[in-house]
Amino acid sequence: MDLNPAHIVPVTDFSSETLRNVIAHLEISTDFDHLVYREAELDAIWSITGFVLQNEPNLPKRGDIAELHRVAHMAHDLVADRRPAEAAAVLRSFL
Amino acid sequence: MLSQEENDLLTQTKPGTPGGEYFRRYWLPALLASEVPTPDCPPVRIKLLGEDLIAFRDTHGRVGLVDEFCPHRRASLFWGRNEECGLRCVYHGWKFDVTGACVDLPNEPPEYGFESKIRTVAYPTREFGGLIWAYLGPPDRVPELPKLEWARVPASHRYVSKRFQETNYLQAIEGGIDSSHANFLHATVDAFRVTDSYIEKVKSSSNLRAKYHLLDKAPRFTVKKTDYGLVIAVRRNAEEDTYYWRMTQFLLPSHTMIPTQKGHSIHGHCWVPRDDETCCVWTMSWNPEAPLSQADRDTIENETFVHARVEPVTFRPLRNKSNNYGIDRELQRSATMTGIHGFAAQDQALQESMGPVVDRTRERLGTSDTAIIAARRLLLQEIHALQQGQEPQAAQHGDVYWVRSCSLLLNREVEFDAGARELMKAEV
Repeated sequence: MDLNPAHIVPVTDFSSETLRNVIAHLEISTDFDHLVYREAELDAIWSITGFVLQNEPNLPKRGDIAELHRVAHMAHDLVADRRPAEAAAVLRSFL
Repeated sequence: MLSQEENDLLTQTKPGTPGGEYFRRYWLPALLASEVPTPDCPPVRIKLLGEDLIAFRDTHGRVGLVDEFCPHRRASLFWGRNEECGLRCVYHGWKFDVTGACVDLPNEPPEYGFESKIRTVAYPTREFGGLIWAYLGPPDRVPELPKLEWARVPASHRYVSKRFQETNYLQAIEGGIDSSHANFLHATVDAFRVTDSYIEKVKSSSNLRAKYHLLDKAPRFTVKKTDYGLVIAVRRNAEEDTYYWRMTQFLLPSHTMIPTQKGHSIHGHCWVPRDDETCCVWTMSWNPEAPLSQADRDTIENETFVHARVEPVTFRPLRNKSNNYGIDRELQRSATMTGIHGFAAQDQALQESMGPVVDRTRERLGTSDTAIIAARRLLLQEIHALQQGQEPQAAQHGDVYWVRSCSLLLNREVEFDAGARELMKAEV
């Protein structure tokens, strides 16, 4: 995993690998621009899970996705509040 | 996504709101100087940050900006007579000078001395870059004028236009810094479909944007916080050893500059809230080194890029919501993505379609929205800081606005802020 808080993690899915990558970047983010990138990544996770929940009502793991959607929202707001370490912990609790 | 509370903080600018207090720390473009061209010319109505105001140029050429409504019976001073260093309400004759002092009160006995006790709301103004700027904030905190390059070049080197938009200012700013929309909203059908003829055309083009946008559809975004706001850098793969960079400037509280190639004229905007549901879009084109060329003037006249023709009194664009922005469905099928003529009308059509204040609790953002997220977060931080008594730094330091947007090719080893440092400096 290439760790650099000044790089945006590509979020094309909400796999464990993607979440671990975002968490690792949250843990080393300090500056304004780092937090903006983390917020964008969490926005993307929240958006993708939101679309899945909306469009695929019979999904087998729907409960898990709904939980991730909720957790991503919480983590997003913590990053917005400049608390990336807490955001990382919240997201890690989902794994 | 934003919470409703954050969305309100960012989008509400009336007196007494946190966002309104923040905007009231800056000089804001209020009207074109040409709207009040001569001493004692007719007054004009202006709406700024939710306040209804009247601008007038007095006998000595000073520009006053006062509450639209006479403090006597609340009649509009728009009907007033601009005469002998003051604006006289034609209802009962009360007259006010540019400072808001009542200088004549003919319907009250002079022995009462009533006029010395009466004032109307008045705001300081400055004439700069062909515009009248206004400051609506606390009198003991008058900021510096922003040292913007377009405002300091000779009049022959710039063109400034004003238009009215039926959205909150923030929606408009977000359009200005969202570089990913240009490949769709402003594209031709050929460019969007990447047809063979289009590839041939851009391969030999000196237009770096057209060439490298085609080669790399997944750009990488970088934002840097600066003394004046943000620089938003977008990187695309270019040649084997180079990247193509485009740097957009976002300058507090609501100025933007579009990336430009060296040697070409530069373009920018300032988005000023009229009220919470409308804004005034100021668009500037300038060449720091020479008068605008005939080609520049033709682009302005033909409305192909960022300027739009407007109704002369209301400043509403001729292509507007009521006529579906002149959409031509045949043109949309065959030539352009929108079928709407001109970037300005294309932007306005889409931004107004979102409603006057978009509900940001319902949006679905992704990593290509980084610039929008950064601008919102910066504005929120600034508003919160002011709530806690910390004055905005940029407002008091006009020199920090001495920057340009740019685009260029850089060796892959070079960081954009180092490689573009000289190009991002204004020079006039």
